[in-house]
Amino acid sequence: MNAQPIIELRRVSKLYHKGDADIHPLDDLSLTIDRGDFVALMGPSGSGKTTLLNLVGGLDTPTAGEVLVCGQNLTELSARELARWRCDHVAFIFQAYNLLPVLTAYQNVELPLTLLPLTRQQRRAHVLTALDIVGLSDRLHHRPDELSGGQEQRVAIARALAADPELLLADEPTGDLDAHSAEEIMALLVTLNRQYGKTIIIVTHDPKVAAVAHRQLHLEKGVLTLDVDTLEKGA
Amino acid sequence: MRLLLLNLTRKPLRTLLTIFGVGVALLLFCFLETVLNAFNAGVNMADASRLFVQHKESIIFELPMAYRQLIAQTEGVTGVATACWFGALSQEPGSDGKKREEFFAQFATDIEDYLRLYPEVQVPPDQLAELLSDQMGCLLGAKIAQRLGKRVGDRLVLRSTIWTQRDGSSIWEFNVRAIYTTDSPTFDQTMMLFPFKRFDEARQFGQGSVGLYMLSIDDPGRSGEISSVIDARFANSPYETRTMTEKAFNLQFVGMLGNFQLLLRSIGTAVVLTMIGTAVVLTMLLVSANTMMMSARERTREMGILKAIGFTDGHVFLLLIGEALVLSLLGALAGVGLAWLLANVLHFNPKPDFFPVFYLPQESILAAVGVAAVTGLVSGIVPAVTAMRLKATEALRSV
Repeated sequence: MNAQPIIELRRVSKLYHKGDADIHPLDDLSLTIDRGDFVALMGPSGSGKTTLLNLVGGLDTPTAGEVLVCGQNLTELSARELARWRCDHVAFIFQAYNLLPVLTAYQNVELPLTLLPLTRQQRRAHVLTALDIVGLSDRLHHRPDELSGGQEQRVAIARALAADPELLLADEPTGDLDAHSAEEIMALLVTLNRQYGKTIIIVTHDPKVAAVAHRQLHLEKGVLTLDVDTLEKGA
Repeated sequence: MRLLLLNLTRKPLRTLLTIFGVGVALLLFCFLETVLNAFNAGVNMADASRLFVQHKESIIFELPMAYRQLIAQTEGVTGVATACWFGALSQEPGSDGKKREEFFAQFATDIEDYLRLYPEVQVPPDQLAELLSDQMGCLLGAKIAQRLGKRVGDRLVLRSTIWTQRDGSSIWEFNVRAIYTTDSPTFDQTMMLFPFKRFDEARQFGQGSVGLYMLSIDDPGRSGEISSVIDARFANSPYETRTMTEKAFNLQFVGMLGNFQLLLRSIGTAVVLTMIGTAVVLTMLLVSANTMMMSARERTREMGILKAIGFTDGHVFLLLIGEALVLSLLGALAGVGLAWLLANVLHFNPKPDFFPVFYLPQESILAAVGVAAVTGLVSGIVPAVTAMRLKATEALRSV
């Protein structure tokens, strides 16, 4: 398989100052992830997983190095251009779902689409498709507090899918769910990867969750310590 | 926009209380504006194309009636009416049966000339014909007629504090023959006018003299020049004149009524009212700003979510500033709307005898809405800028 890289990190470092201490969540990290991959990011707390996810999603900028995603060098973009780029190419799925409580499921999914040049009808078609994919066509007008945790996370996934991004970044998406709901969410993510060709990076502590990924990356103190291709291993 | 409006429904009680707070403040602001406007009503009703000629020393001295012809011949003058201040109190029984002396403005004047000078005064033609044919007749403003409970055909008894009749009586009787109205919100509808001829013939002293001449001129831009010509014509005569614009006259007239106390109180009250108005606006600002700060702080994480899904810093800024603006403008809708309803539709007037003209002017409505808009912008600016500067990664970490 000779896939195109969708993500390329070139000697990326991130440095924070906390009081007098310097913290390096990422230290001279280089990494390539192919289009259509399903990657699990693992490692102990503070190892740099979320920082890596934020850099790849354009929410944060590196202290040194280059981050190329979907053919764009993110380090060259302004904050405004990054926001626009995020809207077009990437979507986040969070552990705490992060739906807006005042909006219904339909309105939450529609929210990122309001930033795109789409008509009302086009937006509606996108929203209905996304909610259909996650199996929540019958919960359009429910607000988050009227949904179960699993359903909320499905709405969050539908929101992530609505604008049809190439890359989905999930930060412990099953962390707040019971085992059954967690399995459903993982099954859904696998479908999105296999059936819809989405590239997915998932941050997790759970080996069961990581097991469904094609590739497992282990970070420790900002350094890549293990890179396992589970497809090859399985083969 | 939908998100903006939905955010306001997030804590309905807080939103309603804030709107209520802003609304009450603006209601008070509008009320103060209405009172200030009422103080200036006499000045505001003045027209730049009208001049008043009085005795050079004071309005209490009279001018010869012979001046009328000379003034009318002055180039640029298009109309002249004579007038005398009557200075009387009503002698009508009140609701309790006791005599009630009420003060309002009365002028003896040439009714037809006056109406030509003041086209904003509307009198039904049949009533006008009755008035002109009755020397004992008088013309009442609609508001004073209502206050005194008078209708066309009623009798009106006044006691003049200045003028006595030939028989020595200061009691004057009139027939209410006409009632005037006007579309001008600034024109005083609490005056009484009656024929100068009857007044001149019946008064015990001062025959052949008038208190002042009211003129209309063809070009308001020439008021200074025409005034100079008139005053120059009567210079060095026993009755020298002082010609001024209607506005200047009205300002002076408050003082000439001998009511300096009222004038000073008016100025003092205006200053105090302005200070109260400023305090009201500041309070409103604090209420609104407090709500916006609390609302924004509670939603720090949501700002992070919005940024994560592609909203720019500018979008987040506009969202928060828009919320503050909508909140203030809803308050304005409630407060200014109620003030407008009370003053301009229901014609609420707390002191009709003190404020002949009491309404909320359009400029004040615009000013109140402007104050609300500025308050919204100022109260929203800090939370909006804070949210705009917030890094998405930090916002998403907040609880």
